[in-house]
Amino acid sequence: MELLHVKIPSWGDLQWWLPEAVLCCTFLLALLGDMLARGRRPVVAFAISVAGLLAAGALAIADTHAVAPAGGRAIMGDLMVVDGMAIFFRLLFVFGGLATVLFAWTSEEIMGHRRENKGEFFALTVLMTVAMMVMAEARNVLMLYLAMEGVGLTSYVMAGYMRTSLRSTEASLKYVIFGAVSSAIMLYGLSLLYGMTGSLQFSGIRAVLLGGGAEPFGILVAVVLILAGMSYKIAAVPFHFWCPDVYEGAPTPVAALFSVGPKAAGFALMIRFFYTTFAVGTNAAASNSLIQVINWPLLVSVISAVTMTFGNLVALRQTNVKRMLAYSSIAHVGYLLMGFVLLSEMGLAAILFYLLVYTLMNLGAFFFVVAVNNHLKSEQLEDYKGLGYRMPWAGVMMVVFLGSLTGVPPFAGFVGKLYLFTAVMDRQWFWLVIIAGLNSVISLYYYFRVARVMWLVRPDEGHDSPLRLSWLQYTVLACLAVPTLVLGLYFGAFKDLADAGIRTMAGG
Amino acid sequence: MIRDLVFVLLALLTVVPAFWVVFSRNIVHAGFALLFTLVGVAGFYGFLGADFLAVTQLMVYVGGVLVLVLFTVMMTHVPAVGRRRHGLDRLVPPAVFAAAVFGVLYKVITVVKWNVGEASTSPTTAEIGTQLMTNYVFPFEYVSIVLLAAMVGAAILIRERSHAGSDDAIAEEKQEARP
Repeated sequence: MELLHVKIPSWGDLQWWLPEAVLCCTFLLALLGDMLARGRRPVVAFAISVAGLLAAGALAIADTHAVAPAGGRAIMGDLMVVDGMAIFFRLLFVFGGLATVLFAWTSEEIMGHRRENKGEFFALTVLMTVAMMVMAEARNVLMLYLAMEGVGLTSYVMAGYMRTSLRSTEASLKYVIFGAVSSAIMLYGLSLLYGMTGSLQFSGIRAVLLGGGAEPFGILVAVVLILAGMSYKIAAVPFHFWCPDVYEGAPTPVAALFSVGPKAAGFALMIRFFYTTFAVGTNAAASNSLIQVINWPLLVSVISAVTMTFGNLVALRQTNVKRMLAYSSIAHVGYLLMGFVLLSEMGLAAILFYLLVYTLMNLGAFFFVVAVNNHLKSEQLEDYKGLGYRMPWAGVMMVVFLGSLTGVPPFAGFVGKLYLFTAVMDRQWFWLVIIAGLNSVISLYYYFRVARVMWLVRPDEGHDSPLRLSWLQYTVLACLAVPTLVLGLYFGAFKDLADAGIRTMAGG
Repeated sequence: MIRDLVFVLLALLTVVPAFWVVFSRNIVHAGFALLFTLVGVAGFYGFLGADFLAVTQLMVYVGGVLVLVLFTVMMTHVPAVGRRRHGLDRLVPPAVFAAAVFGVLYKVITVVKWNVGEASTSPTTAEIGTQLMTNYVFPFEYVSIVLLAAMVGAAILIRERSHAGSDDAIAEEKQEARP
């Protein structure tokens, strides 16, 4: 009987999956707590979510020493792996989830008096964090897909969270439809790959590919379809079209999370899937031979260049700050893809580091928009006139975020970009670096237009009363702004963390 | 011989109504045509010895999803589509695109040496159940929590005021926009 050969994932595996397990329990407890409080007192769900995220963060940090040196630990019957990269992303997602939950608590859009279901919002944010972590850990096609759907389903709901708002409903619907189509495209590619290799495991697929047992044309089509599905997740051109509408329609704290969380998770998944399946190898020649049918560097570098240029050029014309940030996030995906061109350790480590920096600065910029929206009920640039004088501390921090997003020297964004540029320059891809440089100049214009309106234009008469932020808002913004500054000057330790993440990534 | 005949019949059952789904100007007709396509696919699963998948296909897609689609179509007001004839300019680009996709997929299917196994002759349900409870117990549990989130989400989206797109909502939004 074949039935006797099964291997059951042991309970012991759970000890390496504690942060996620804790968050799953947090999700259930938050729902239960909210139900017992009859949805009237969202503070219960909020407190449970914050406590759960803090606990998960602490556990993830404790795991760092236990797992990382071993070079990865396969868990749950080899469906997932906890290695340096998984731990890096765990910390990143817990941080992002926590910041979002805390700031959503102060957002009028989420907590405004007419909204019901406030408690569920925090529970869903927690579950989305879990799903993103699984995306970074999956090493099996089945888990890869389930993790992506987990992120997808929660984000569709969160995008449509303001049910009475037409924009929000439209955002949710668009997200669902485009998400379903892109999932279908990716699934088709994965099914082709499975049909050719007979394995769902990344390592199994890799073994067949190395053995030369697959038709190049079939691999080409499968990889293009899979790449299309994943490009949708990270919103790279030409699969970006949902992004501005969804970000603009979704509540701003949700848009903030969307702009960093699922994007970082998508990159984690792409790194693990393409690097460990197609490219792991000690010498570059052998590693590239597997995907030589595609001319991978050219394909990705073109996507990268088009994505950053498109994002920046369209961002130039935006008058709505939230929409501008949406397009700028597309541009940043373009920069990030630069690290993906050569599938080299150096490039991938640069992606990880930039994702860390990007999470800090982009969350910060979006949260500033939340704080302004609470008072002015507007995201239009013209309403930002003289805001620097009305909320000086937050205004200064916003300038820090904008400067970092542009990538000017004293800020972390500069260091991040430097690493990405170096990774490509390493193999003489100068044209890509030149395009990226020109793009940074373009972005300088529209980021500093916001800073100029805030600081160099005086507020209108009658609209110059100071705006107050709560201590919680100041704390979260400072927790994002201070590292954005510090990482620009002292980045060694965090760069080492990113390097170690890639170096200790378990092979396919 | 009989196998070939069954295959051709199933293929016709799947493909012919699929054209109807796409080209029908009446959305209710399209929905009913989809019924035959989905049943045809279930037939293929059964034909290949995947009895569990065949039944699942019938229960989930034919019994669940399709009925839901038909209810939605019939219970909501569908604007009269298709009064306007589509010109060639609206037809040619999608046709070319579809033909290109078909060409690529046809080449993939014919060129690749597929990793095929023998169709199973014994019932597969017990084996699938065992696998779900052993090797794949983790994805099984993970899906349950994701589906719970989906249910919570559905509850959030329809609770209280479900007519988000109506005039009421617009008026309300305007009211909210006022300081």
